[in-house]
Amino acid sequence: MEPQGSQEISRRAFLKILSATGAGLLLEITLGGCRETDTPYPTSDSRRTLTPGETPEATSEVTSEALLNENSFAPNIYLEINSKGEVTVTAFRSEMGQGVRTAIAMILAEELDAPWEAVRVIRQAQADPDYGDQVTGGSASVAESFAGLRYAGAGARRILVNAAAKTWDVEPDQCTTQPGQVIHPDGATRLGYGDIVAANRNLEAPPGLRADLKDESTFFLLGTNKGHWDAETIVTGKAIYGLDVRLPGMLFAVLARCPVFGGKLVSFDATQALQVPGVKHLEPVRQAVAVVAENSWAALRGREMLQVTWDEGKNAGLNSGVIREGLGKGFPDPANAKSGTLAGIYDIPFEAHNTMEPMNCTAHLHDEICEVWAPTQNPQAVQTAVAGAIGLPSSSVIINVTLLGGGFGRRLQTDYAVEAALVSQAIGAPVQVFWTRQDDIQHDFYHPMSRHYASVELDAIKLLRINSQESHDIPTGPWRSVGNFPAAYVHECFVDEIAHALGRDPVEIRLELNDQRSQAVIKLAAEKSGWGEPLPPGWGRGIAYHATFGVTPVAMVAEVEVPESGLVRVHRVVCAVDCGTVVNPGNVEAQMQGGIAFGLTAALKARITLSNGRVEQANFDDCPILLMGEMPEVEVYFVDSDRSPSGIGEMGVPPIAPAVANAVFAATGKRIRQIPILSLVE
Amino acid sequence: MGAYNLTVNGQVFSVEADGKMPLLWVLRDLLNLTGTKYSCGEGLCGACTVHLNGEAVRSCTVPVSQAEGKSVITIEGLGLDELHPLQVAWLDEMVTQCGYCQPGQIMTAAALLAAKPHPTDDEIDVALAGSLCRCGTYLRIRAAIHHAAQEA
Repeated sequence: MEPQGSQEISRRAFLKILSATGAGLLLEITLGGCRETDTPYPTSDSRRTLTPGETPEATSEVTSEALLNENSFAPNIYLEINSKGEVTVTAFRSEMGQGVRTAIAMILAEELDAPWEAVRVIRQAQADPDYGDQVTGGSASVAESFAGLRYAGAGARRILVNAAAKTWDVEPDQCTTQPGQVIHPDGATRLGYGDIVAANRNLEAPPGLRADLKDESTFFLLGTNKGHWDAETIVTGKAIYGLDVRLPGMLFAVLARCPVFGGKLVSFDATQALQVPGVKHLEPVRQAVAVVAENSWAALRGREMLQVTWDEGKNAGLNSGVIREGLGKGFPDPANAKSGTLAGIYDIPFEAHNTMEPMNCTAHLHDEICEVWAPTQNPQAVQTAVAGAIGLPSSSVIINVTLLGGGFGRRLQTDYAVEAALVSQAIGAPVQVFWTRQDDIQHDFYHPMSRHYASVELDAIKLLRINSQESHDIPTGPWRSVGNFPAAYVHECFVDEIAHALGRDPVEIRLELNDQRSQAVIKLAAEKSGWGEPLPPGWGRGIAYHATFGVTPVAMVAEVEVPESGLVRVHRVVCAVDCGTVVNPGNVEAQMQGGIAFGLTAALKARITLSNGRVEQANFDDCPILLMGEMPEVEVYFVDSDRSPSGIGEMGVPPIAPAVANAVFAATGKRIRQIPILSLVE
Repeated sequence: MGAYNLTVNGQVFSVEADGKMPLLWVLRDLLNLTGTKYSCGEGLCGACTVHLNGEAVRSCTVPVSQAEGKSVITIEGLGLDELHPLQVAWLDEMVTQCGYCQPGQIMTAAALLAAKPHPTDDEIDVALAGSLCRCGTYLRIRAAIHHAAQEA
């Protein structure tokens, strides 16, 4: 029986001697244990991108090898240490602003016991079976990898301790560490990790070597604010998103797509498009036409001059109002609810993702290999989809994951990548297929429209029932917090209706309806918001509670003003969160702020409508995003917990819309059962 | 098509382009300065903001012919030898999430501070009203602008 917080480093791991780089023996630890492999250890982050400002000439490889000198030690596939004690981390989840690259590095450095300043490079794993399925979604990255990363860091620390102990001829168990150094039993003599690596002796793990996790009370990194690793490259304009990839000889393309979903390409006339300077090719790609040019603007102008005939097909008449009326057939009329029963129908519209970086992908098919540079949340799915589309084995498709300018679930799809691979195949050159904002809004995988019938007997309120129907008449897909968004809106608005019908306080009724862990966040949010204290006229407070995916309880109290103009103004949101052990508290706060902004856009401003089969919105003027002046003050309070981290990326979205709707009711007496709440004035 | 001499971040470039080609695409595709971002193409979001003779402009709506003879500063040129105080403040306040809109936010903020060294919250909201952020970093952007203003 293994002691708690400890894991044997199995001898079954394949010990691989690296080449003339002179690194020591390599022990591979993967999440969940060790395994055998004979694939070469990836030592460089080789992506062929150009340094901004340089003109494309020969291939230039950007690697992290510049940081690693001759002697480096890679105890597992997540980290390497060089002879200066500098650490390179490999991140295996996609960064879309949720801070996952930083979190992975923090967890490893904590258990390795290396100073944060020693972490010098975070490289991004390609789609690589060594790292398992790298899909980044469900707010699950840290939750799922927390324990395994801790063992990876602890195992590496143990090997370094062991090597130092052998050098000193002492027992490893009598040595300790402090960040970056192993300390001799005498308490004074030390060896830096870099020196241990440089000495390059005794770095193999003998059988039975145990890796012990730190006691959480001794954490020096986890629980502190480390910001976002990529912030410096972001604020200097050096960060590379998908749209920023530049390759020698790369062309740029946009696709003309049928404005009606599922429509088919009948014919196109390329004559005028080809006359636009810089336009090089026009290629049919599935049911679209690719306009390929020397630069993005020429591609856009070429597309403007393209003449295309579409067969719009069976969706040509789609209308979102008609879709909405078709939902909920069979729902009773709430007006007929018998006495003692409360009922209501709620409506949620289609929603767009609107990542600030529109969809795009760069692909180069050559020599029976397809290299792809994708801002994607789903590297393995992209790899499989591209391989299938172009007819290569998956192992011949290399996925380089760039930074993502927002994900929100849209980049779990593979469409933008398959397009790029097919265009590269058609033209025999590297190509970046990019989407305009209009393309992005009109060819999304939308959050589905839904209609919900909520009902309850007022003398049995725990038996509240919600029946829901969704429309997938247009392409739909995961959208930040997914089904939690409508579920929370309906449930939490309806609980508020119940409270009002019974003359009860909305906080107090929620304490009755929820379990102890949920009660903790409800009480904390209520307390910190000053629930019950007077507000100016025209103002109201509303509360909502939701545990997204059932794992992270969050309660929010919104303070809202509804002036004579009827335009809802959210002044302040108080959040209480129980996300378990907090890795990077400033980042949790940021994710709550971000989830609130995301949810408020849907609650107050934007939705997707269709008419004549076409999405009616086209850019940020008719599909707006929350503005700075509309952002409320946000306070975030944590419930102390030593549970494992449970996830935060999506958790700030579901509670905000119902909290605001409930606050609007408190301010005006008007109950809002659909979003967006555009105006309270008819 | 014509030849245009542009001064970008203090360096002179000669580009051959259609005079109507937006400065955004000249920067990103002809000069490989990809720090300035494309997001809406219609001047609605601010991601493409650069300084043209010191004024914050939406480069997606500025034809390259209008940039000739003027000084263009992009995010890459804001802090050449050392970080601009706004860039330092952005790091101190831990503003960035996905970061895609941030170059445009910083360039807009830099123009604001050049005109109003100590802006109020309302003045910040107005100046950055057209700088959209889907990740919702607005509170920290405002804090970073105040931070940089105080350090000045």
